[in-house]
Amino acid sequence: MALPSHISSSAANPSSARTPVYALVGNPNCGKSTLFNALTGLKQKVGNYPGVTVEKKVGTAYSQHGQPITVIDLPGAYSLAARSPDEAVTRDVLLGRRADTAQPDRILCIIDATNLERNLYLVHQILDLGRPVLLVVNMMDLAAAAGTTVDVARLEQELGIPVIACEAVNGKGLIELKLAMSRADLPLARHAWAIPAAIAPAVTELQASLIAHDRKAPLVARAEALLLLTDQDSVRVAGSTPLHARTGEILRTWQQRWEGEGTDWAGTLVNSRYDAIGRIAADVLLQTGETGPTASDRIDAVVTHPVWGWLVLGAVMTLLFLSIFTLAEYPMNVIDAQIAHLADWVKSALPPGDLRDLITSGAIGGVGGVIIFLPQILILFFFIGLLESTGYMARAAFIMDRLMARVGLNGKSFIPLLSSYACAIPGIMATRTIEDQKDRLVTILVAPLMSCSARLPVYLLMIAALVPGDRVPLFTKVGIMILMYALGTVGAFGFAWLFKRTLLKGAPPLMIMELPPYRLPRVKDVALHMLERGWLFLRRAGTIILGISIVLWFLSAYPKAPDGATDQQQLAQSFAGRAGHLLEPAIRPLGLDWQIGIGLITSFAAREVFVSTMAVVFNAEAKDDDTTPLRQAMLAAKWPDGRALFTPLVCFTLMIFYVFAMQCISTIAVVRRETNGWKWPLFQTAYMTGTAWILSFIVYQGGTALGF
Amino acid sequence: MSPAFQTLAALAVVAVAAIWLVLRALAKKKNPGCGGDCGCPAQKLPSALRRR
Repeated sequence: MALPSHISSSAANPSSARTPVYALVGNPNCGKSTLFNALTGLKQKVGNYPGVTVEKKVGTAYSQHGQPITVIDLPGAYSLAARSPDEAVTRDVLLGRRADTAQPDRILCIIDATNLERNLYLVHQILDLGRPVLLVVNMMDLAAAAGTTVDVARLEQELGIPVIACEAVNGKGLIELKLAMSRADLPLARHAWAIPAAIAPAVTELQASLIAHDRKAPLVARAEALLLLTDQDSVRVAGSTPLHARTGEILRTWQQRWEGEGTDWAGTLVNSRYDAIGRIAADVLLQTGETGPTASDRIDAVVTHPVWGWLVLGAVMTLLFLSIFTLAEYPMNVIDAQIAHLADWVKSALPPGDLRDLITSGAIGGVGGVIIFLPQILILFFFIGLLESTGYMARAAFIMDRLMARVGLNGKSFIPLLSSYACAIPGIMATRTIEDQKDRLVTILVAPLMSCSARLPVYLLMIAALVPGDRVPLFTKVGIMILMYALGTVGAFGFAWLFKRTLLKGAPPLMIMELPPYRLPRVKDVALHMLERGWLFLRRAGTIILGISIVLWFLSAYPKAPDGATDQQQLAQSFAGRAGHLLEPAIRPLGLDWQIGIGLITSFAAREVFVSTMAVVFNAEAKDDDTTPLRQAMLAAKWPDGRALFTPLVCFTLMIFYVFAMQCISTIAVVRRETNGWKWPLFQTAYMTGTAWILSFIVYQGGTALGF
Repeated sequence: MSPAFQTLAALAVVAVAAIWLVLRALAKKKNPGCGGDCGCPAQKLPSALRRR
């Protein structure tokens, strides 16, 4: 087939003086980010579930000859007819609609060999764009295991573009791919798809308007016209330019005409495309073995079972927290001892004075109090990485969906909520995969209720104070920890139910979720994910937590009390003490005093700052030259009348408070950005903090009345 | 090291930390709201990719 006359050589042959730019596109969970990482050497997050990538990412790959190639990893999309903001990013970049990104020179399409027909729908639409396309057929090994083979040569012949078989996870096919990517010329698709006769005149008219008024290239204009006619082009994102009024007018005229005639124009277009794809798939898919239940199907019969599925989920959670308490104990003791040695060394090296106090009580006490939890953070993310990598997370989503659907949560809310167990910020960003704006807002509002990793140090410190000593069964600690995570999850579901019936009423959402096949976890990916999270934790400890600890030391040490005052008196009349006293009337009904109040104030910066604040506040009372472990210092703390401050009931109440309170400035900032205003973040802060106070009040007063 | 010098040095460290925290809070981020501390850094587009 001859090339259309309007295709200039520059489109097919990007200037050799400029780095070629490839857009990497494909369906969700077909291995785009894995391929992106393999090509660029970057460490973009990957997971065996759909919706991991929600924004475009850019990296540089190098051809076999060392030529740089820019690769843009785009969010997964089933079709160019975007239904959610993340799919709209992909569509707008490919169509050159983004004001901040030029249309890529070439497109690197990746498809899942085990789902060829569905994946080819997007490829088929992309071929309409008239850009040079490279097609990667990924997961050939899984297709073979499922008893099918893709005839790559035949597919190449059918589509008229280079097709490369690949196993991105193992790096197979990468050399061939890099060679193809560095080709100066890429053939344009030999793509014969006849637009149905009933629709063709409208496409032609819209195309002409898009060329004339919207300054689109001819083939892009044709692709845009087809998208407009499928009536699914309503989702637009910031940065995409609006269409000309004349184009909209033409579209409305045709739609009114078809409505009058009773023509289903969108259905006609989609069916026609699927007919063409079906013919290609029938030619290139070869059955090589028996097709029966796969290993994934057999495992799913258990882990997605209405009863066994919950037991498996419970067992996984128990194993996770058991590991956190048992495996982390030794490295925690080592870190604790090293921190104490360091503080003691500083005390022996420096004479008494403010600088010594600043270093020991402020910097070492504050930062050390937090980094002691590093082993547990690493274990948590190692497990999360394992579960994501194997594909179990999607199954957890599946069984949780029964619960989520009852409260009116969208099935796609699971991944954002799951991400929020690590940190609410990526979780809130992941809501971009949710098509319905009300469902998206509900998910944003409840996501910070999921217990993030910043709460883990607070929980662990409180559990250590709540159930001290080795006589308490390990399962009690694990049980309390699971209870905290469950409370946050139930709270999120409960508020979602409430919001869906009051503020954000909407139709019950339909759950459509793809269950990816189980895969053996890639140790490298899991380890990298774990180390990256560990590094982020340490970076926070070494920057913001260190800074706050230093300032907090000043606020607790100044103004100076008269000579002869006790450490308690010094703290009470310090700036921090005065702030704590100001807050005390509000928190005293929760069993908390002004010293804990200081921690509640400072932890608005980040929840784990509560731990460092407690270290600074309570280490200030140490009189001798031996550093007191924080837990012991807290257990020794008293009310003025001599009662213990950190009773088990107070510790439990504090944990309840941290489950529900919105103690995170960064999350508030992200919610403001994602909702384009202050209304929802302020509402969210108010309802979460209000709930935290009310539930803590009930727990403390109820517990006191019951004699705890 | 005299107590007076220690006090001066400690206050200087506190001042630096406070200024850094304020500047950090006020700084216009490259990826506002992304929260790089939470592991979702979006890379800046190279100039070659900006609309030509």
